[in-house]
Amino acid sequence: MANRTGTAQRPNGSTQGKICQFKLVLLGESAVGKSSLVLRFVKGQFHEYQESTIGAAFLTQTVCLDDTTVKFEIWDTAGQERYHSLAPMYYRGAQAAIVVYDITNQDTFGRAKTWVKELQRQASPTIVIALAGNKQDLANKRMVEFEEAQTYADENGLLFMETSAKTAMNVNDIFLAIAKKLPKNEQATAQGGSGQGRRLAEGDTGAKAAGNCCK
Amino acid sequence: MPVSLLTDPQMQFGAITFFAKLHKGDTCGSNGLPLTPNSIIVIGKAQFLKTIKHPYLCQYLDIIRGKHERTVVVSQYCGEPLSNYISKEQFTLDEIRKIAFQILTALKELHQRKIVHRNLSTDNILLQQNKDIKLFNYGLYYMTGCGQLVSFPIMQVLYSAPEVYLDSPSGIFSDPKSDIWSVGIVLIELILKKGLWQSLKLGQRIRKILSLIQCNNSSVFERIAREHNCFETYETIPDDLKNLVEACLSIYPKNRSTAEELLQREMFEDFTTKKTPNKSKVCEPFEVFTINELYHWWQLAGGDVFQELKKQGLIRSSPPILSLPNLVSIEGSTLGQERNPATLYDPRIVQMPLDALYQRFAHIPLTCYYPLIHATSKIIESSMPPPYDATGLPLIIREKDPEYQFHRVILFRRLLHGYPYTKELILKEASKDIPPLLRGEVWAALLSIKGDYERQYLRIDKETPTTTDRQIEVDIPRCHQYNELLSSTEGHKKLKRILKAWVYQNSNYVYWQGLDSLTAPFLYLNFNNEAKAFACLSAFIPKYLHKFFLKDNSMVIQEYLAKFSQLIAFHDPHLANHLHYINFYPELFAIPWFLTVFSHVFPLYKILHIWDKLLLGDSSFPLHIGLSVLTQLRDRLLNSGFNECILLFSDLPEVDIEKCVSYSMATFESTPKSITTREHQNGKFHPTSELDISSVTLQELNRERCPRISATDFVNLVRSKPEKILTIDIRNPVQFSRSSVMNSINIPFSSVSFGEASLENVGQHSTRIANSKNEIIVVIGNEETDLELFPKFLLKCGVSRVCVLHGGFSLLASATPTILISNTQM
Ligand SMILES: Nc1nc2c(ncn2[C@@H]2O[C@H](COP(=O)(O)OP(=O)(O)O)[C@@H](O)[C@H]2O)c(=O)[nH]1
Ligand SMILES: [Mg+2]
Repeated sequence: MANRTGTAQRPNGSTQGKICQFKLVLLGESAVGKSSLVLRFVKGQFHEYQESTIGAAFLTQTVCLDDTTVKFEIWDTAGQERYHSLAPMYYRGAQAAIVVYDITNQDTFGRAKTWVKELQRQASPTIVIALAGNKQDLANKRMVEFEEAQTYADENGLLFMETSAKTAMNVNDIFLAIAKKLPKNEQATAQGGSGQGRRLAEGDTGAKAAGNCCK
Repeated sequence: MPVSLLTDPQMQFGAITFFAKLHKGDTCGSNGLPLTPNSIIVIGKAQFLKTIKHPYLCQYLDIIRGKHERTVVVSQYCGEPLSNYISKEQFTLDEIRKIAFQILTALKELHQRKIVHRNLSTDNILLQQNKDIKLFNYGLYYMTGCGQLVSFPIMQVLYSAPEVYLDSPSGIFSDPKSDIWSVGIVLIELILKKGLWQSLKLGQRIRKILSLIQCNNSSVFERIAREHNCFETYETIPDDLKNLVEACLSIYPKNRSTAEELLQREMFEDFTTKKTPNKSKVCEPFEVFTINELYHWWQLAGGDVFQELKKQGLIRSSPPILSLPNLVSIEGSTLGQERNPATLYDPRIVQMPLDALYQRFAHIPLTCYYPLIHATSKIIESSMPPPYDATGLPLIIREKDPEYQFHRVILFRRLLHGYPYTKELILKEASKDIPPLLRGEVWAALLSIKGDYERQYLRIDKETPTTTDRQIEVDIPRCHQYNELLSSTEGHKKLKRILKAWVYQNSNYVYWQGLDSLTAPFLYLNFNNEAKAFACLSAFIPKYLHKFFLKDNSMVIQEYLAKFSQLIAFHDPHLANHLHYINFYPELFAIPWFLTVFSHVFPLYKILHIWDKLLLGDSSFPLHIGLSVLTQLRDRLLNSGFNECILLFSDLPEVDIEKCVSYSMATFESTPKSITTREHQNGKFHPTSELDISSVTLQELNRERCPRISATDFVNLVRSKPEKILTIDIRNPVQFSRSSVMNSINIPFSSVSFGEASLENVGQHSTRIANSKNEIIVVIGNEETDLELFPKFLLKCGVSRVCVLHGGFSLLASATPTILISNTQM
């Protein structure tokens, strides 16, 4: 169902699908695999020597859900604590967030919780938050138990999956789960892209960009 | 005739090759990432060997990686192995003493550097024409991590000490004393004039060596002599030599002397007193060029080590099908593969042919080896051949042209030798281009590195754990890892130490992600000199990134980005208007550009070329690089909306670096300095006067889309390049006629209607402005005029090079009345 290659698949026969556009931000401690998850989702690749992210990077990917085409505008942020001051600029107006931690490192889970709190306080109240326990391929070095994270996610109403950017496990799935949970009425569509993001998503993004797919 | 300088018999080199151990299957490290290939670890370790320069040691020149973990080691190779002489009865006892002295001196040098040879034999002791010796291939054990990184044993049957045999195959026993044993065996061969146990098979030879352990209290030398029917010779040997050999061949390493101890023996006194070269601490002796340079030129002239190894049959390719295993288990282990004999050690050495290079350089006259630097005599100049001219060629070609690089390297070696007194000349020459071979040193000179930076670096605590460590540790394995040096274990360690040292040394600053990338070029160029890499980084940051690494650097970065926007507006109003219209601000994409001066954005080879020029400029140069990157992408940007633009920068397309550099240089030179003046720039590198721009707040800066120009720059332009400037005075006509700047035009602010972005609105002078192609347009007003609307209007109309005089007319009136005229008097 999900389509990795970038152009949206048109569901058989139906010529007119709804197009929704959502702004999604990735947050989490440095080196937990945020950029790798995005790279896997957008390009189907994994780079062992992924470069660190300074400031932020922007990518887009489209997935098709039944008769709806969902276009993600993804902001991948820098993980280092110091770049924290930039983060609000990216999550402001975001409809979805993936907070990532590394299952082999307990501290990154703690940091993920802090991000969730910050989002709950500062971001849009309707934001869909997913928690991703990444590097699942290293389960033999696990420091964060699945159940612990699941419980935490349930208590806070988060989507939760353990993922691996390396093996691609659950990568598309987590984005799809988010896409499913996002409201896809006309209003959301209109909002998508312009949002409250003062600067990040104004301009002519909405209509023109969406026009690229599912015409 | 002049080639004779090149054909020094000691300036020759050869190569050996071996395979590093292959990691089994697709094993991963504890972080889930692939293990660093062993050949890369070898390359990292071997770099240190290149620093060893010693008369009795062949100099290491290069370590290259081939396919499938093949490793090629290039080093000086000259003279003939001692083994060729052994049975020819060549050496007098005095000559043997001298050889012993030189081998021990060489070993002492190695052991001091914690390098164990482990491989010493008469095959890799090379006798020179002048009868001195040089050890060859002494670093194999060291570079392979005490043999851990290869699958063959590093030892020499016959020459290896008993304890080497007794060590387990995977043991990393590395006692320098085992080399001393080997010296003993070599000396016996020289004295007895025969190779030992020549007729025996390998296993028997080993048994012979091990059986020596039994002569615990008797003489090993005597026993060997008897076994070779040489007891008579043995008895005639003078005691000093006999004792020396005996001391080398003590069974227990703990009883064996060290090289240093042996060298103190009376028998060597003559050599030691004779051999005290008058080494000056102040100034190293100058060499016109070294074997390093020769190797570099040889490569440029088409020399190819791999090609030579293939020609000699050292590298043979076998069809890949032969290397298929019979069985592969799910876990990835393979079965049924015959051991490839090529993975064993092949002791052959291939001498590299130099004739082609000699021929190529044959016509270069001797005078070119000794370029005149300070002389400005017309007579001498006219007697010189015309300089080799390559200035018209693209940089990439110049860097590959052997003859051009010959001249550049010779010249720069001279200049660097005279540094710091030659700083000006280095600057001048570096502005043409920098020879890649000497880039590290030239950069250090451009950054004014001098003094005892090594001791300073030594003093810094680089070990104590800090809270920054985790961040540094996760960043290093992501930093320019395509590069062999930076991805090697040694490279990681060094980068970590330098970063920790910097954080320790700069307590007012903190580690920001990106500092790793910034350090990478310096480490790459000074891989064997961490202290210098650190000194360069420490000099670079205050000059180009002053305050960028403050814990709260937002003011500094925002100011820099605001200046960037203004610079775009100044040179390319069209692009600036478009980016402004789609809300595409530099803070979305340019933070990594400027925080790391593009070192996080481009691959190393591009950074080197950009920084070659950056180091000649000041902290505004990165703005110009940024502008030139945008310029290259201009058409795509102009045709794109927000999303496409930002995608473009998330995955930056190929940038033509030579174009980028030349365009940056052009705008850098044509832009008055004050256009890019910042509050946060380092005053040390930007002296200012009262007429310069100061106290502009960030808010003002963000509002003003056109930059300000200082009165200093303005007055200079009016005086020296009046044709380059168009002054627009927007005060009211009365004020204008009372006093105004020479040649200025008056467009009273109140006379313009700003509604529509059309130049006609400015009235009679609109064509004058529209035709101003290369002029800088300076808007002058005073307290009563709005200094933002009018320039912004010009910008919207697509007028380029618009700036505003800082301080307005009143500043001019008080400071430099000489450029003013009074119209009423006329
Ligand atoms: N084993 C494993 N390594 C991963 C995975 N995801 C990322 N990495 C590695 O972890 C490091 C940091 O990843 P990166 O995407 O740069 O993290 P970010 O700082 O959160 O963006 C890189 O070396 C990746 O190759 C994963 O799922 N499994
Ligand atoms: Mg990242």
